[in-house]
Parts: sequence; C-alpha cells; structure tokens
Amino acid sequence: MKTRTWILILAAAALISGAACLFLLFGKSSGQTAQVIRDGEILCEIDLSAVGEPYTFTVTGKDGGVNVIEVEPGRIRVSDADCPDRICVHQGWLSTQSVPVVCVPHRLMIRLVSGTGPDAYTG
Amino acid sequence: MTKRLTKDALLLAVALILYAVEAQIPPLVPVPGVKLGLANIVTVWAMFRVGAKDTLAILALRVILGSIWAGQIISFTLSLAGALVCYLVMLLLKRILTMKQIWICSAVAAVAHNIGQTAAAIPLFRTASVAVYLPFLVLSGLLTGLFTGLCAQLLIRYLPQGKTERE
Repeated sequence: MKTRTWILILAAAALISGAACLFLLFGKSSGQTAQVIRDGEILCEIDLSAVGEPYTFTVTGKDGGVNVIEVEPGRIRVSDADCPDRICVHQGWLSTQSVPVVCVPHRLMIRLVSGTGPDAYTG
Repeated sequence: MTKRLTKDALLLAVALILYAVEAQIPPLVPVPGVKLGLANIVTVWAMFRVGAKDTLAILALRVILGSIWAGQIISFTLSLAGALVCYLVMLLLKRILTMKQIWICSAVAAVAHNIGQTAAAIPLFRTASVAVYLPFLVLSGLLTGLFTGLCAQLLIRYLPQGKTERE
C-alpha cells in the first residue's frame, strides 16, 4: 500500500479515537453511586450525594498493596497509594466523569454507576 | 551462530536499558497503560533488520526480564499480552511494508499492543469497564508509535546495512 493510504488510515484512527476521548472526558456519567471494586468484587457502594462529613478509608489488596480512598460530598478519589506509578492518585477526583479511576498494580477500580442492581454490576 | 547470539544479546541489553531509563520518567498523563515505549525502537528495528525469530526472542526476554525488574505480576501479564499482539501485527505488516515505511509499522504495532493490553485487563479486573480506556490508549499508541517508529526509521537510515548485517 502507498504511504499516503497509510497516513489516511492513521489519521482516521487518530480522529475517531480523539473524538471518543473528548466524548468520554466531557460527557457526564449519570451515576452518583461510587463502586469500589477490587479483583472484580464490589467492596462497597457509596452514594456520593448522601455523604455528609468527608472521610477516608483504606483498601488493602491480597498482596498487601494499600490504597487510601477519600470521600467528600459528591466526589471520591484515591488520596494515597503504595503502588509504584501512583497513577490512581494522579487521576484525582471522580465526581461526574464516565472514566473510572483504576489502580492496575492493585487491581482496584472506582467507578460511578446510576443506582444499584445487576445491570450496574456488569456495566 | 555466536555472532547471532551476540547481536541478539546486545539488542536485548539495549532494549532493557531503554526500558529502565523510561521507567524513571514520571507518567505524563494519568491514564494507566500510557507510556512512551522506547524499547519498541529495538523491536521494530530488529524486525526489519535482523529477523522475525530473533525479534521474538528479544521481545519475549525483554518483557520477562523487564517485569522481573519492575517486580509486578499484573504488569507482566499485560505487557506479555500486548507484546504478543504487537508481534503478530508486525509480522503481518513486515510483508506488506517497505523499508521506508517502518514508522507506519511501529505506529500500527503500538496501537495493537495497547489494544491487546486492554483486552487482557478485562479478565484481570473481571469487568469490561476498563475498556473505557481504549480510546485513550489507541490515541497514545498512535503518537508514541510514530515517535519510536521515526527513531527506528532514522536508525536504519544512518546505520548502513553493511555495518549491522556483516557476518
């Protein structure tokens, strides 16, 4: 194939994925319920709209990895972690986004869902 | 045989050094899986200049040794899945691309690597929610793949065939 054809294919892929990124970043998730999931298991569900006083709690993984989770009214984040890259901490607050916070080394995920039930689980 | 072994070992060492250097750079964007992939320069270069079997050995050993150094089973699983998909795509692209289109191979292979990695993350996290990261990983794969591909392209241009292929 000609180089020009390849450039078109790559540019199209960049455009489509770029548009999808913008959609994910600026689109709002309808959910206000945060699920804290470790190894595919829902550890707890927090209704962020019902949070009064801010609080933190610690999630310890099976291999001893620690994530400190901070909850405030309307938002949740990983405030501290002992994973090497600390990407989960850098991802910051989760309040309305549809992109979940993930800690790959500890297989931990925080995502927003609307309400509870089996649909929210498979989402 | 000895020359081949020496050359492959040297390339593996270069790939591991690039991997170690890159690990010292703090993550630029807080998206899991996004990285520069400097070691990819070696993989692409070896694929076009050395051979498919040698590349497989260099790639597999780099992933195994690099993960032992980083010390994480989960990143090993994801890297291995990504590397495998990336290798298969490169094998295919090598047949249809010319020596002047190496940068294209690198970009497509980097995207393939990130797709393979995301696919492997789904059973590990036991949820399809991680697939949300796919658009970010495709975009970053394109950009980083182009960068490492251009590096490999320049390397091939300025390292004459005779100096690297002499037996």
